[in-house]
Amino acid sequence: MAHYIRRRLITAVPVFFGITLLVFLLLDLAPGDLTDLMGEGAASAAEQAAMEAAFGLDQPLPVRYLLWLTGLLQGDLGRSYQYGQSVSDLIAQRLWPSLLLTGTGVALAVAIAVPLGLLAAWRPHSLWGRLSELFTVIGSAMPGFFLALVSICLFSVQLGWLPASGMYTAGTGGSLGDLLRHLTLPAAIVGVSNVGSILRQTQSACLEVMGEDYIMTARAKGLRERAVLVRHGLRAALIPVLTSILSHIPHIIGGSVVVERIFGWPGMGSLMFSAVSSRDFNLVMGVTVWMALTVLLTSLLLDVVYGLVDPRVRYERI
Amino acid sequence: MSGYKRMWRRLLGDRRAAVCLGILAAELLCVLFLPPLLGLEPDLTDRTAGFWAPPSPEHWLGTDDVGRDVFSRLICGGRVSLLVGYGAAALNVAVGVPLGLLAGYRRGPWEFWIMRLADVFHTFPSIVLTLCLVTLFGASPLNLVLVLGLLGWPDIARLVYGNTLSVREKEYVTAARALGARTGTILVRNVLPNAAAPVWAALAQRVGRAILSESSLSFLGVGIRPPQASWGNLMQSASSLAVLAGRPWIWVPPGLLMVLTVVCLHVLGNALRDAMDPRSPAGRGGWEGR
Amino acid sequence: MKRLPALLLALCLCLPLAACGGPPAETGSQEVTIRCGISNAWDALMPYNSVSGSNYARIVYDKLYDRLAYVHADGTLSPRGAESWESCEGGYAVLFHLDGDAAFHDGTPVTAEHWVETFTLMTDPECPALGRGNFSVFTGTDQDGCRVAGEPFGAEAVDELTLKLTFKTPTTPEDFLLDKNREFYVLPTHLLEGVEAAELMELDLWKAPVGSGPCVFVSEIPGSQLTLAANQNYQLGTPGFDYLVITVMDKSNLLTALIAGDLDYYAIGGSLSADDVPLAEASGLTVLEGTVPNTFYELMLNCERISDARVRRAIELALDKDLLCEQSTHGLGAPAGSSISPESPYAASAVPAAERDVEGAKALLAEAGYDGTSYTLVCTANRAGLAALMQQNLAEAGISVTIETVDSAAMFAGMADGTYDMGIASHTPGALPLWFTESRLSETNNIFHVSGLEPYTSRIQAIRQEADPEARSALVAELDAYLAQERPFIPLWFGTALHVQSPTVQNIDYPSASFSNENVWAWVKE
Repeated sequence: MAHYIRRRLITAVPVFFGITLLVFLLLDLAPGDLTDLMGEGAASAAEQAAMEAAFGLDQPLPVRYLLWLTGLLQGDLGRSYQYGQSVSDLIAQRLWPSLLLTGTGVALAVAIAVPLGLLAAWRPHSLWGRLSELFTVIGSAMPGFFLALVSICLFSVQLGWLPASGMYTAGTGGSLGDLLRHLTLPAAIVGVSNVGSILRQTQSACLEVMGEDYIMTARAKGLRERAVLVRHGLRAALIPVLTSILSHIPHIIGGSVVVERIFGWPGMGSLMFSAVSSRDFNLVMGVTVWMALTVLLTSLLLDVVYGLVDPRVRYERI
Repeated sequence: MSGYKRMWRRLLGDRRAAVCLGILAAELLCVLFLPPLLGLEPDLTDRTAGFWAPPSPEHWLGTDDVGRDVFSRLICGGRVSLLVGYGAAALNVAVGVPLGLLAGYRRGPWEFWIMRLADVFHTFPSIVLTLCLVTLFGASPLNLVLVLGLLGWPDIARLVYGNTLSVREKEYVTAARALGARTGTILVRNVLPNAAAPVWAALAQRVGRAILSESSLSFLGVGIRPPQASWGNLMQSASSLAVLAGRPWIWVPPGLLMVLTVVCLHVLGNALRDAMDPRSPAGRGGWEGR
Repeated sequence: MKRLPALLLALCLCLPLAACGGPPAETGSQEVTIRCGISNAWDALMPYNSVSGSNYARIVYDKLYDRLAYVHADGTLSPRGAESWESCEGGYAVLFHLDGDAAFHDGTPVTAEHWVETFTLMTDPECPALGRGNFSVFTGTDQDGCRVAGEPFGAEAVDELTLKLTFKTPTTPEDFLLDKNREFYVLPTHLLEGVEAAELMELDLWKAPVGSGPCVFVSEIPGSQLTLAANQNYQLGTPGFDYLVITVMDKSNLLTALIAGDLDYYAIGGSLSADDVPLAEASGLTVLEGTVPNTFYELMLNCERISDARVRRAIELALDKDLLCEQSTHGLGAPAGSSISPESPYAASAVPAAERDVEGAKALLAEAGYDGTSYTLVCTANRAGLAALMQQNLAEAGISVTIETVDSAAMFAGMADGTYDMGIASHTPGALPLWFTESRLSETNNIFHVSGLEPYTSRIQAIRQEADPEARSALVAELDAYLAQERPFIPLWFGTALHVQSPTVQNIDYPSASFSNENVWAWVKE
């Protein structure tokens, strides 16, 4: 297994550099750079040239990529053009709010999806089955921004129960209760948007398992339904459910662009969005590196989990 | 081919699925044929009606911020949204199914690299990548189909891969192999029909996802370019509180249509999966049925 | 074993909550905080390192750093860093008498030497300052605003509290301040001693800047939230609050958050569209109309692609400016035929907006031999409606146009490199007659791709040199008439903003906020 992990890590290296090179190229192809945005197009050619020189944008593409790569190998992601601060600091600042928001959202989704999926697989035509269909449909038929706007209109404006923006009430320093109040709406929306896919995975995994012989045997032995359901059904369905949850890790770390923008939540998603629209090269690359790392580590983690839980996966094969 | 015929019969026997299929077909027909039949002009300003006119006999759903007929935009927007939805999902399948089959049947390095790639695509937050790509190459419907289509294949590939793994050890496949059939033939004749059942359910989900992605991009200002209508940018006008609270006729219809489409696809997808799954003779999944 | 999943779930739920100890401890509840929303992020907190150069960045610098004067929306001036000013040396120089009470947040008094050193550092060619072109009005600088070695520099400290600025052309203090006040801030140069000019922008000082403005830096999440405290010793008075917190959020949520009571005010000037007024008023908010025009819309043209002036004039005649203005401003604007603001003292020299004349446009097109070439019209997504209207207007005159909606970076880049033929842009107008034309019709920034700039630059130069108001008005009228004939860009309209009044903060000068300064020192929240 150690050998396998080593191998996986080695193959991850070219994939990682492939991703960074790809994003670098894409950014370079984008029409316009940050100098064009200066002063609503009123900046003079000399000012634009000076700015390009100051940020090294006047160098040819391969040189810039190599320079950036050298920086990366020394652990330096460079400075953000727009904010003038080091990219790693910016990312570090946004990481925790993102984790909190999307993490809570996904946890919420799991808390709804797993039990519901299990129950729906057990009794597809019961109330649980209907409920699970409802959740799947809402999550996959309503755009997140729309849910956000409607819920703000309802809960913040009409009812006045929950705050419509920010992470803390400004100026209070932020207590736990305050944070929770601010977290409720955005996290619920992230949750609802994610519940569909987890629910589907759980349901189909459970359905599959319940068709297996040993479950039949267990039932034939006269075990109570509930015991069969939990002891055998859930346990065997755990792997696919777990992997489906684990595959959300990069999303948790990457944040949610739309929800963060609307609620003014200082997360990674809104950071990436503003970096792309202001052509903040270093910042986009920094966020990309970070995402690529989490993506690759997650996929490794998924494999290891597979191997640990399911001995049928043979690591030596490849 | 008799398998497919049986599948159709089963499908139409399921009343819910038949109704959903009817709705989807009607929707498609409306979107395709209503504009020429009614002479809808989605880009034309009606100066007499003015901006933001409420619904009236001339404008069934009122007019928008530049005095264009919202009903025309709804129907013509449906063309774009459905094109993006179905197109992207079809591309997902076109890429995902062969890759999944290949990985599951050939195994070895094929399996390793395809599944690694799938992991990367599957876990990479797609909105971020979509955002970059669409900002760079512009959001024409075709570009959106390509971007969403090429980013969403891993779900499908994984499903097919998993099923192929189990199917390839079945007697009829080993028998075909022993008889010396070519790999391609075995894949298409024996493996694909048995491995593809769950794809249908996932396909419905992919269509919905693509339509939603387009509307999220519209909200961020990088969706379908606005003179062209789409359900996404119609919904986007609800981001002004005045529209959200005061003019529901603008956003309710596209919202309803989106929900309706996704619900129908969902039901239809599940029914198709069950109809194709040889393991569920009753055409119904679930434990109870056994 | 069956508890495992439940345990995992519980863990997932608790993890985010358990880690909540991080945020700073709660402060006393007696403090008054103003919560302010903003739709776009500011840049680095160093005013001469503003990558976007946007009003969103300026309005934030305005709080932390001090400027020479406060510019009111109607074009009048009141003291700020300087108590008074006077012209000298035949109009070629201005003396600014600084306020002796002004001090940096670290207690150091602001002197004329600080201003001079700030200007000296920023015009150092080694220093990667942005927006340096603004310094090119001073003697001793080249056209990019870099100091020229050997020539005397146009910023001197006469005594501790007197700053003398010398210009290349005669400039009244009023004209200088109206045009450039928002570009110049005083930096704490006593903290910059011994720093290499080239490394100036990378100092840790700008992560927690020390200025002399009405607010003191407390903390920042770049691009998301900025917390400021009131400067108790500000020379114009102590702000009537303890903290000011500025949060970036989506435009669509600003008014909603104000109604919901999550915000006290939002930048810039609490402006809202006429469409949202009934809703705001129904929610108990007051909406007032601005006193002066604060937006100017223009259609940028690529004169290289649309090379015949008659075609450009035909485009103007074909556009229904009344309808476009109505669509965009809901009746709060007036079509324009010139970039000179109707509130400007030179308004009488401006060419009035012409009536729409489709037949006239067709005749001009026929005369010019227009061959039906299709032009591309570029705009940002939020102006797509306007573009669609223009497309229909132009189609009626027989001009075919395709619309491209892109983000603003791509739009300005595409206009500059000639990818697009027309583009819709809006600006905050200045009171001076040359506020718009001077920077866009020059050798260094020829965004309209005019082939022969000489007729413009010579006229602009003549206006700059002329000190007599009457003669100047005549020259301005002459330039405007020439612009109307050549039409390198098409003026569309001047719009007035609506300001939703803060329900909790008193004394906000809403209209002036559109001109990149806010009277924070007068704000009071109970």
